[in-house]
Amino acid sequence: MTAYFIRRLLLIIPTFLGITVMVFVITRMVPGGPIERIIVQARQMQSSLGMAAGAAEQRQPLSDDQIARLKAYYGFDKPVLVSYGQWLAKVLRGDLGTSTRYYDPVWRMIAERVPISLYFGILTLLMVYGVCIPLGIAKALRHKSGFDNTTSVVVFVGYAVPGWVIGVLLLTLLASVWEVFPLGGLTSDNFPDMPLDEQIMDILWHTVLPLTAYVAGSFAVMTMLMKNTLMDNLAADYVRTAVAKGLPFRRAVFRHALRNSLIPIATSFGNNVSVVVSGSFLIEKVFNINGMGLLGYESVVERDYPVVLGILVVSSLLFLVGNILSDLCVAVVDPRVRFE
Amino acid sequence: MNNTILRVERLSVSFATEKGRLTAVEDVSFSLRRGETLGLVGESGCGKSVTALSIMRLLPRPAGRIEAGRIMLENTDLLRLPAADLPGLRGRRIAMIFQEPMTALNPVHRLGQQVAEAVHLHRPELDDKAVGQEVVAMLKQVRIPEPTSRVKAYPHQISGGMRQRVMIAMALAARPDILIADEPTTALDVTIQAQILSLMRDLQAETGTAIIFITHDLGVIAELCHRVAVMYAGRIVESAAVETLFRSPRHPYTQGLLAAIPRLDRTPKAPLATIEGTVPALDTMPPGCRFANRCPRVMERCHLAPPPLVEVGEGHAVACYLYS
Repeated sequence: MTAYFIRRLLLIIPTFLGITVMVFVITRMVPGGPIERIIVQARQMQSSLGMAAGAAEQRQPLSDDQIARLKAYYGFDKPVLVSYGQWLAKVLRGDLGTSTRYYDPVWRMIAERVPISLYFGILTLLMVYGVCIPLGIAKALRHKSGFDNTTSVVVFVGYAVPGWVIGVLLLTLLASVWEVFPLGGLTSDNFPDMPLDEQIMDILWHTVLPLTAYVAGSFAVMTMLMKNTLMDNLAADYVRTAVAKGLPFRRAVFRHALRNSLIPIATSFGNNVSVVVSGSFLIEKVFNINGMGLLGYESVVERDYPVVLGILVVSSLLFLVGNILSDLCVAVVDPRVRFE
Repeated sequence: MNNTILRVERLSVSFATEKGRLTAVEDVSFSLRRGETLGLVGESGCGKSVTALSIMRLLPRPAGRIEAGRIMLENTDLLRLPAADLPGLRGRRIAMIFQEPMTALNPVHRLGQQVAEAVHLHRPELDDKAVGQEVVAMLKQVRIPEPTSRVKAYPHQISGGMRQRVMIAMALAARPDILIADEPTTALDVTIQAQILSLMRDLQAETGTAIIFITHDLGVIAELCHRVAVMYAGRIVESAAVETLFRSPRHPYTQGLLAAIPRLDRTPKAPLATIEGTVPALDTMPPGCRFANRCPRVMERCHLAPPPLVEVGEGHAVACYLYS
């Protein structure tokens, strides 16, 4: 089994190269990019500095020589695979480059957003696992009861409506009409002047609505997965065996059916390492939170390729490692699974 | 009569289906004596397993419901037992083993753990070490080779026959008075089947446990049972000591069943006798004898009311108008 996981870890390398080559080539082919942005900026400056040049003289603001120097600066003068090689060599040395927009190191830009991603990611995880698993169990044990039907309706409505729409609805109702919660952001204006306990309360107060928006969408899948697998297992022969040997039904559920029901949930558990870079840019946009989702979205829109690629490096590595961790989790909960 | 440990009296069980409530077991009565093996034989769907699950109070709920009858374990009516008392009954007084040893064990728990759970439940006075020793002793008793290392194995690592042995060890862990075996050998191949049967016979001699053995295989009945009750379409049609039943079957269904068994002393390659027709579906059960539509000796009155089970000899009862 160790050999299997070593092999899986080694397979990360070609997969990672494949992902990054693909995105790198795409960044070269799509229109836009730092040079075009600089040209646009230069043209704007030109026109705002004086109409002296005149509208008729709407020509290229930079000389060919300047453009060539810019291309050399950003590495666009070389063939795409050569630039990729240079970029990769820097990445391997731990250097993700600098943003073409803010001229900040990409590492620092990502690191600044990580705490926000972790904060919402971990809270969402806790809510999803902490509520969905017990809720799924309760629904399975009370199948077709009023409780089961009501919660199903709530859970599926949450699933059907996108998280950011729920966010907008919550904001409109609870922050605008009834002003119970703040309109956005993570802290109040006077946050620095508050004592610690008030600061904590302030952050939590700002957290409620975005967290609800995050959690609403993940609820249905996890709850129904838990409910349905548990119901399958409740009908399984070995649960009947457990009851037949004298175990009270509830103990048979928790000792025998539950662990078997966790197997499907374990198949995606390892991917939770991706919380480091999690965050939906739509929800972040609605609630005005400066998280990873927004950073990724803006870097794509603004063609800030070092940031795009930097986020890609981090998230694809986490994703690949997460898959292996998930396999490991399955092997831990299910002794029948042995990887050769 | 004091020898009787379990008496099922006029048991009727119904199931909720799309076609409404249908009676799966009707008016079934039999008794089990201490230390004997009672065979319950009949074809698939005749109500054998439902009867067994009723005794264990393990009918699937809310679909299955006991409509009438009593199940007396010595002087207690099991059907009136409050749900809280059932865990003390199951496993300790009456244990059960099932048809599919492949699925009847929990795939994610070690074998030792599963047997230990049964020991621990019914003998809480034992400490962990004593339970461990008991588990090894139980596995040894059901003739599992190398029991000390097998306790750490998972069900998927051992064969079907071994799993059924583990099931038996688990069922016997609390030394129950009665063991219900619901087709325990049906899923196993013939040589393993023979081993399990001889194991059960030996264990019964050692422990004196009374066994209700459910099967559709008359050969198994002949090999293992003292008495046998034949079920057809939810009713008992004939019950007798094994020798009596095989020597002089009275009910036309039993006669048909026995005639359908291939025998070495018959002409080789001759076509086997069959019983014409099929069992009526549960929702189209006739008001009279349920075998009437297939019976070679059917009479007018057979279609009117179900024949009662009447004594035709020493411990031999038949539900057929030919004899009353």
